[in-house]
This record gives sequence, structure tokens and C-alpha cells, in this order.
Amino acid sequence: MAAVTLSNVVKRFGVYEVVHGASIDVRDGEFVVFVGPSGCGKSTLLRMIAGLEDISGGEIAIGGKVVNDVEPADRGIAMVFQSYALYPHMTVEQNLSFGLRMNGNPKADTDRRVGRAAEILRITELMQRRPKQLSGGQRQRVAIGRAIVREPQVFLFDEPLSNLDAELRVQMRVEISRLHKELGVTMIYVTHDQTEAMTLADRIVVLNAGHIEQIGAPLDLYDDPANRFVAGFVGSPKMNFMAAKVVGIESGAATVELANHRGARLRKPLSQAPPAVGSDVVLGIRPEHFFDAGRGDCDISVKADVAEHLGSVSYVYADAGDEELIIEREASRQRASGDHITVSIKAERSLLFDTSGGRIR
Amino acid sequence: MRTQNATAYRFLAPYLLIFSIFWVWPIISSFLISFQATRTVPWRFAPTFNWGRLIGDPAFFNALENTLLILVIQVPVMISLAIVMAVLLNSPLLKARGLYRFAFFAPVVVGEVAYSAVFRLMFNLDFGIVNKLLNSVGLPKIDWFSNVTPAMAVIMIAVTWRWAGYNAIILLAGLQSIPDDVYEAATLDRVSKVKQFFYITLPLLKPVIVFCAVLSIIGTMQLFTEPFLITERGGPGGGTETLGLLLYRQGFRSLNFGYASAIAYTMAGLAIAITLVQLWLTRDPK
Ligand SMILES: Nc1ncnc2c1ncn2[C@@H]1O[C@H](COP(=O)(O)OP(=O)(O)OP(=O)(O)O)[C@@H](O)[C@H]1O
Ligand SMILES: [Mg+2]
Repeated sequence: MAAVTLSNVVKRFGVYEVVHGASIDVRDGEFVVFVGPSGCGKSTLLRMIAGLEDISGGEIAIGGKVVNDVEPADRGIAMVFQSYALYPHMTVEQNLSFGLRMNGNPKADTDRRVGRAAEILRITELMQRRPKQLSGGQRQRVAIGRAIVREPQVFLFDEPLSNLDAELRVQMRVEISRLHKELGVTMIYVTHDQTEAMTLADRIVVLNAGHIEQIGAPLDLYDDPANRFVAGFVGSPKMNFMAAKVVGIESGAATVELANHRGARLRKPLSQAPPAVGSDVVLGIRPEHFFDAGRGDCDISVKADVAEHLGSVSYVYADAGDEELIIEREASRQRASGDHITVSIKAERSLLFDTSGGRIR
Repeated sequence: MRTQNATAYRFLAPYLLIFSIFWVWPIISSFLISFQATRTVPWRFAPTFNWGRLIGDPAFFNALENTLLILVIQVPVMISLAIVMAVLLNSPLLKARGLYRFAFFAPVVVGEVAYSAVFRLMFNLDFGIVNKLLNSVGLPKIDWFSNVTPAMAVIMIAVTWRWAGYNAIILLAGLQSIPDDVYEAATLDRVSKVKQFFYITLPLLKPVIVFCAVLSIIGTMQLFTEPFLITERGGPGGGTETLGLLLYRQGFRSLNFGYASAIAYTMAGLAIAITLVQLWLTRDPK
């Protein structure tokens, strides 16, 4: 078991810098998820930890030892690839044992480790099959099994579930979580799916364009995002962002008026100095934080465009000026498009951002 | 549906007609001719005339032996070389990859006569560059074209030069279809590059290697240009005569079409037989 420490890690491909000084402290035994949109550098970061990419700047330490110049195989890590990367010409058993066999590991020990991995992942009956004869979920299990057999100190996963269908994804997610409890080792997991991040992680690292936007526990990111990017990325459906203007300030609070809802004013208590009167701001409200008319601090009225009824809840897509709002309502079967609905928002259930995306607390 | 097909066949008719006359018919016809005595006028049907001669003809067995010898030595050497070339071409360290790819492929498009002439010159006893090189490192000259073994060697070298790059390009396509992450997984498994080559690259490349081998076997079975032009009609003294050359001599010099047809069918039969054995030996275990 080992902690993984990244200090000011930089990655350049030629002159093009794709990771700009990332510092992350992954504790021993922790499950950390790197999340962010496509192309933000998650895989690159993971591959640098694995040793599959050179480190252009900064330091990576595993178990207290700087590994910048250590061979991938000597870093005590195992990696599960998005495409599984199984050896296509070998049976499951050969896939699991290949690394150990190639390194002259005693046969009895190899058999023991392979048997144990197969048992943990319930693939014992598949041992004589080839990857081609397995379903996506089974392949994924074999890929994880191959990592377990190495008995690593750190597991690295690069979007391991993205090739699976929705149902299998949920099932495998639970299994990976169980695996983490069972093995108790450090795991670093890359995904662009915020639901996966929220459900699996002890802590989440939100990346955007090669920068770390925020590191924190899932609910901390949800409740207290550092900026508009994190606020928009964490939570599903996405947080609504509404243009607003500061119309009055007093000590410890600002009053904002929503640009697309004439007269809708909200008094928002703030702990830092409020922005000047007249400045543009953005009010963020999660779809699940709209209340029945009159129950909040400020009512707004919108025209429902489309309603999605999911059974337990409904999502109403509404147009307000040039903004689209997603509003979660308790399931109501009658609500149809074209209806006008009035909902209420609460200051304590809203977040304020400046126009450059920074949070105003 | 039926009328549509009819229309299609009407469009295809010119092609099918020419295809039948110049392709299908000669195949059938030569098969029939191989059962006729063609040195008499008119030709007469004599089923054992050519085939009987074939199994007792020292010239045929000489050509067969030469052809097979070239096959057993040249094809494996060339395929191995092609694999090495393909791996080098695929290396991320290589600069100017396009240039190499072109250079490897170029011999195939060089005219056969031109390339044969160049090889004759290169291996010339007195002014050939090969003998010059041998001399310069203190080795004696070799009279390449007067002795059988060196003459065979020249043919094998020439054929290898001409086709190794072609096979390398096909193998390169196969190499590039092996995903990078399989190698990355092996690297994490602490498998050395050399072991990766033998335990991952070769097994995954096997279908392509078999394909190249089959193409090369068929090509070498028909070997003609090199012994005809480089070693001057199978010289010295028939020492490099191949089945292709024997067929040519019988058919187009002696105008013995019956015997030439029998040789042609033997060549085709052998190529098919060797290929089948090859496919059977390298089949995937079920
Ligand atoms: N070998 C490479 N050469 C040049 N640029 C690269 C290379 N690999 C990745 N990049 C660039 O680095 C950036 C980050 O890529 P990376 O693969 O880490 O993204 P990611 O966050 O994993 O995205 P995804 O969710 O799509 O997998 C991208 O802009 C990509 O184009
Ligand atoms: Mg990626």
C-alpha cells in the first residue's frame, strides 16, 4: 500500500503543454477519482503515474519514493485500460498469469494468485476462454483480474467502464467499490462521468484543460464548488446558470435581480465583500433546488417547453429569455409543454459567481 | 428481379466473354492439351504421353529440385527479413518513415529487365561491385555465374531484394493493427521488448505472416525472370533452371505444348499442395 504524491507535475507534448503544474496528494488506501471533460489531461496524468508517459516537469512519488525515473514495472502499480488491452491470443488464465510467468515467478505462487483473482472477480469458469469469447463485462473483469494478480500497491483505472452498457456500468461500479474495500489499496480512477466520480470517490479531483479546478470529497464539491466550472460539472442534471445584476448592497449581503425575470430579486447573504452595485453576476441554482411558488425567497415564472417524466421526478425544460432552465419537480403526470409554471428559489440554495466564473461567497 | 439480373448480365457480357476466351478457356484447354502428343501433326490424344515423360524426365526433376531449393531457403529468409524491416519501420524512433516506406516498396515497380541487368553487372566477375567489395575486405573474387552454388545465391539474393520490402509493407499494416495498449500492458507486466516481440507481436502477426508466405510460395513456384535473365537461361548448365524456365523452354522454344501444359499443371498443383500444408501447420488451435 502506498500514498501517491504529485508535485507541480507538468506534461508537454513537443511545445504544447497539456498539464500545467498539477499537485495532488493521494493518501494511502484512498479512492481518488480524476474527473473532467474530454481532453482535459486525465489520462495523461494517470499515464505519467504509471510511467507510460515521461514527466516533463515536477515530481511524482509513490510510497514516499520519487519515481520520475523508475521503470513502469518497478513502480508497484497496476493499470486497467479503457480498451481492456487483453492479450487477444491468450486464454483468460494465460492473460492473468502472463506477467508472472514471463518473470519466472514460481508456478505454485502464480497459480495461487491467479486462482485468488479469479475467485474475487468470479471468473473461474471463464479461465479457458479467449477474450473474443467474452462479453464486455467479463473482459473488464479479466482486465481487473490481471491487475489484481500483480498485487500492486496502487491501482490505476482509465475509464474502465466507458465501453459497457448502462446497467453493467452500475453493476461494475459497485464491484469496483467492493474491491476497494476488500483489498484496501490506493486506487486512482479516471472518468468523465460525474456520476461515477460521485459514487466511487473518497475524494474527487476536477480537471479542466490541464488545470486542477478543485479537489474535495464528492458532497463538498456538490455543496461548495470553488467555481462555476466545478459547479456545472458536478451534479446531474447540470446546475442552471442565470444572468443577474447586483442592484443593492449592504454589509454581509447583496441583492441581485435576475436579468430574464423582470423584478425577481434575491437577497443573498455573503461572507466576503459584495461586488459593486451594477456589476453583472451569475446565479447558479441546481435543478433540484427549485421550490413550490411562495416557499422560497423569490418566485419566478417560466414557460415549460418539454417535460421528461422519469416516474419519481420530472424534469421540466423551460425557456426564459435566452436561458434554458432545467427544473426538477415531483412527478406530476399532467404537466405538459406550453404550461406556465411558477417556482421559487432560495438564497441558501443558490450560488453566486462573477462573470469570469469565480465564486462569490 | 429476374429482368434486373438479365440487364446486369447484359452489361457484364463483354467482360465475361473476354474473360472466358482468354482466361477460362486456356485453363481448360491446357489441361486437355496436357493429355495430347503435340509433336505430331495432327495432335493426337495420348493420356500418358506427357505425364509419363514427366515422371521419368531428369530435366524436370532438376528444375523441380532447383525450384524447391530456392523456395525452402529464400522464402523463410525473405519473410524473416521482411518482419525485421517491418518492425524497424514501425519503430517510433524512426525519422523520415515515408521515405523508407517508399524505398522498401520501390524494387517492386522497377522493370524486371532493368533490375536483372543491374544484378548481372553487380555480380560481374571483373568489374562487379560485389567482387570489388569482397576484394577490398581481403576476400577472393567469386565467379558468380560459372558455378551453380553462387549462381543460385545470386538468384535468391535478387528475389529477396525485390520482394522483401513488399512483404515488409504488408507486415507493417499487420503490426499497426496491434493496439499500443497491449504492449503497454506487457510493459507494466515487466515483459521485456524482446519477449514482447516473441510472445505478443509474432503470435498476433501470424495470419499476416502466413499470408505473405503463401504469396511468396506461389511467386517462387513460378520463378522465371531471374534465372532467365540474371543467370542466362538457367545457367550454368541448367544449374539454376526452374520449373518456370523449363516450361518456357518446352512450350515456346521446342513448341511442345502438351509437355509444357503438364509442367504448368504440376507447378500449380505443387503450389496448392504446399500452401495447404502450410495453412494446416499454422492453423489456430481450436
Ligand atoms: N501523444 C500525444 N501527443 C500530443 N498530444 C497529446 C498526446 N496525447 C494526448 N495529447 C493531448 O493532451 C491532451 C490531454 O489528453 P488526455 O488523453 O489526457 O485527455 P483525457 O482527459 O484523458 O480525455 P478523454 O476523456 O477524451 O480520454 C489532449 O489535448 C490531447 O490532444
Ligand atoms: Mg482519456
